[in-house]
Amino acid sequence: MGFEKFGRFGYVSQTKINPLLSYLEKGQIAATRCKKCGRTYFPPRAECLDDRQSAIEWVVLDGKGSLITFTKVFFAPPAFQAETPYLLGLAELSNGFRVFAPVSPSVDEKQLKPGKELNLKVARGSRDNLFYWLE
Amino acid sequence: MGRVGIVGVGHSKFGKRNDASLRELAFEAYGAALDDADMDSSNIDSSVICSATHYDKQRSPAGVVAEYLGLNPQPTFNVEAACASSAVGLRTAWALVSSRLHDVMTVVGVQKMTELSSEEIQELMGRAGDVMWESPFGTTMPAYYAMYATAHMARFGTTEEQMALVPVKNRKYGSKNPNAMFQKPITAEEVLKSRPVASPLKLFDCCANADGAACLIIANAEKARKLTDRPVWVAGLGLASSPMSLAGRKGPMTSFEVTKNAAMSAYQMARVSPNDIDVAEVHDSFSITEILNYEDLRFAKPGGGTRLLEKGETELGGKIPVNIDGGLISKGHPVGATGASQLFALTKQLRGEAGSTQVDGAKIGLAQNIGGIGMYSAVTILKA
Repeated sequence: MGFEKFGRFGYVSQTKINPLLSYLEKGQIAATRCKKCGRTYFPPRAECLDDRQSAIEWVVLDGKGSLITFTKVFFAPPAFQAETPYLLGLAELSNGFRVFAPVSPSVDEKQLKPGKELNLKVARGSRDNLFYWLE
Repeated sequence: MGRVGIVGVGHSKFGKRNDASLRELAFEAYGAALDDADMDSSNIDSSVICSATHYDKQRSPAGVVAEYLGLNPQPTFNVEAACASSAVGLRTAWALVSSRLHDVMTVVGVQKMTELSSEEIQELMGRAGDVMWESPFGTTMPAYYAMYATAHMARFGTTEEQMALVPVKNRKYGSKNPNAMFQKPITAEEVLKSRPVASPLKLFDCCANADGAACLIIANAEKARKLTDRPVWVAGLGLASSPMSLAGRKGPMTSFEVTKNAAMSAYQMARVSPNDIDVAEVHDSFSITEILNYEDLRFAKPGGGTRLLEKGETELGGKIPVNIDGGLISKGHPVGATGASQLFALTKQLRGEAGSTQVDGAKIGLAQNIGGIGMYSAVTILKA
């Protein structure tokens, strides 16, 4: 239990990657890495695809990235209607991982275009929920 | 493997069908397909019921649909692949018929969407993506496709005016389709002025939720020839998958790898190339989707989809008429029925029964059906 704290409105409560929340609490964004082969996963996953018996460890990401694409949502699911309209983005982080995340309202929308450099930062919602966004 | 032929097709009226339940919609299409094939249920060995079952009030709808169609005690089951359910249903039935486990089967695509409250629909829409990593940020079906549109615009200079040509074209043909939900043409100005949904997509760039059903009856070659003198053959079946999460996908987000992969399999199996296709049905869930599909199916080069539209090459009389039954944008999109609806339109074309929208001498047709936000794509090639 507990993972429903992730996101602006979480749907999934039970998972093996709960430790992500402790990193977010500390203001850090973390990936998982296979202790045997070193393959790293973000979003984090609990098992290595290549070494299924191996343990994983957590590594902190620097969050530097550039925007691939984005949209502004005007027609939202019920849990998000109070915040409408809002921006969603897809970015590529410096280590090659891609991340789907909201774009912080602090970003000037007129400056937003594919290729723009943005940083993935931890954000906290009003219900004590934790997530990350691009700013 | 033996050949498999389509021997009967049926289609209900699509739209807000508050006069009919799920099972009744299914019967409209199934009954029409039996009439079309001039047969009765005793000829059918097994049924595949295709729907995105989360929309249905009825749990495990194959049970009640097969009962209502008079298809007990023959085997029946549900196939679900979101918006591509009935294209995947045909693939499933094809395998059962070509393996000789069954001789004659029916594939029924059916969906009842408008019975849900708009609150329920919006809640479902919010879970269309990866519920662990993407839905918690407020994703919607249009938002995902809008992100492809933004990337295509930035890379190729595609404009909202060019995207508006898709609904203008499709609604023009929808006005000739009595089964379509929207039968009134639309202007580019109306599209451009409609309210924003997820930028750059606006209301009239988007297809609508609908109720409806479409049905195919298929048979092995021997039976097909006995049952009809005009079978349409299933020549190529391509299906591929892609990561459901957007972040799990590679490339510049200006094309669907999943469609390219499905197309490659289908062209190879049918031994045809994109130039051989006489008429096509592609998944126009949104204006941008049709443009990407032209490119992913290799009707146009990457970035060349808008040019094809501007030159009128996908109109009736053009090089490759696309969605001249009106597409999802005119017909509405009863998720589970859409794939079978596309194959209904192609079967009519290949038999020369498409009336005022008939493509002269059409011999080879292609249908392309995307599931959900692009995690599945099916390409089906039919030959007269």
